[in-house]
Amino acid sequence: MVIDGIDVPEDGTDPVDAAGALIQRVAAGDREAFARLYDMLSPRVFGLILRVLVDRAQSEEVLQEVFLEVWQSASRFTPKRGQGRTWLLTMAHRRAIDRVRSSQASSDRDVRAGFRDLASSPEPVAEQVEMKIESERVAEALRRLPDVQREAIALAYYGGYSQSEIAALTHTPLGTVKTRMRDGLSRLRTEMGVAQ
Amino acid sequence: MTEDEFALLSAGAALGSLSEADQRAFERALDEHPEWAAVADQDAATAASLAESVGDVEPPAGVRDDILARIDAMTDAAAPGSADSGASAIGARASAVPKRPGRRRRLWFALAAALVLIAAIGVGSVITVQLGQPPGVVALHRIEGAPDAQRASARVQGGGIATLHWSTSVGKAVLVAGRMPELAQDQTFELWYVRGTSAIPAGIFHATGDSTSALLKPGLHPGDVIAVTVERDGGSPTGQPTTKPIVAIPTS
Repeated sequence: MVIDGIDVPEDGTDPVDAAGALIQRVAAGDREAFARLYDMLSPRVFGLILRVLVDRAQSEEVLQEVFLEVWQSASRFTPKRGQGRTWLLTMAHRRAIDRVRSSQASSDRDVRAGFRDLASSPEPVAEQVEMKIESERVAEALRRLPDVQREAIALAYYGGYSQSEIAALTHTPLGTVKTRMRDGLSRLRTEMGVAQ
Repeated sequence: MTEDEFALLSAGAALGSLSEADQRAFERALDEHPEWAAVADQDAATAASLAESVGDVEPPAGVRDDILARIDAMTDAAAPGSADSGASAIGARASAVPKRPGRRRRLWFALAAALVLIAAIGVGSVITVQLGQPPGVVALHRIEGAPDAQRASARVQGGGIATLHWSTSVGKAVLVAGRMPELAQDQTFELWYVRGTSAIPAGIFHATGDSTSALLKPGLHPGDVIAVTVERDGGSPTGQPTTKPIVAIPTS
């Protein structure tokens, strides 16, 4: 049975990293594996990019850039450093953040109205939201964080703001923002029991 | 740097929130202390879980086709994914620019799926082509290599997405488009620099299959909006657009 790209064996043994296996085949030039990887993860990747960028046209562009980068740099993925899914989502997130920072649209974003919403429970941009078990687990874990930690994390991850920008937005010293992100991320990990 | 200091940076890195200076410090520390990679990897995994709270959104079907077409073009031009030495650094910033293949032998090959066309500069003039490399390819290379390279995209009415790439220091602009609308035999696309209320002609081009690129005539000013209209073959006889733009891309 495959849940979210992780092959979960029925007999309860350790799950296999299906996405990671595909990425390794992509590294060998396997186009079929690439297409399957795209079909498996592009809705999640696109949802994430849209959440960060909001602009649909730019999001489609970044989606293409991400998967082209996957094709070209698949050999840099090493399974012992983590799961394929993490590798891909990290890459997608990085590109979305880079785009948000470099595009003029970010300076037009209404920060005062927008960031309070970001800091509360993150709203999905999708027209049809599939709330899978995993996403509810994450949403619940986020809700259990102290407000200031959740705010720092949400502003960074979904808003694409740098630590200095967040310090300015929240009228907090930079050092405090860094600590909140550190403590918040550690707490999130504990709350979710993230397996490496 | 202590491990605690590294851990502080690692959280910011995983969330994509570090300043340039901190990001470099983080990457250097990771190089010097490979034993700290486990911390960075854990944080990356936790951050990636944040992606799980976002809903799935099915991308448009055309995107899948475009991507596959581009990797096919890359496969023909160069070997995919060269093996790199060194471990994958999930937390480190990988080079963001995909490799651009070199020479084009067959016209329908893509520059990262962009088919490069010789855009006529004005009516009736002739373009000399650098041997083996159409001017749009050369321009795109130079633009992408410039420190002030910029790009902006917009949807084309009746087509896909068009992206304008430009650099003030290089003084060039190239429009790269996916699908363009079908034109009649006696029609062409014309580019314009729209400045305030005036429109300055910036060249004409025809679509070439799934992707099209066009090098704009020199003369981009900051703040210009680049527009494309459908005109009679050879360009608008009045020197002004005669139809409404099918795409408009602001450069600021």
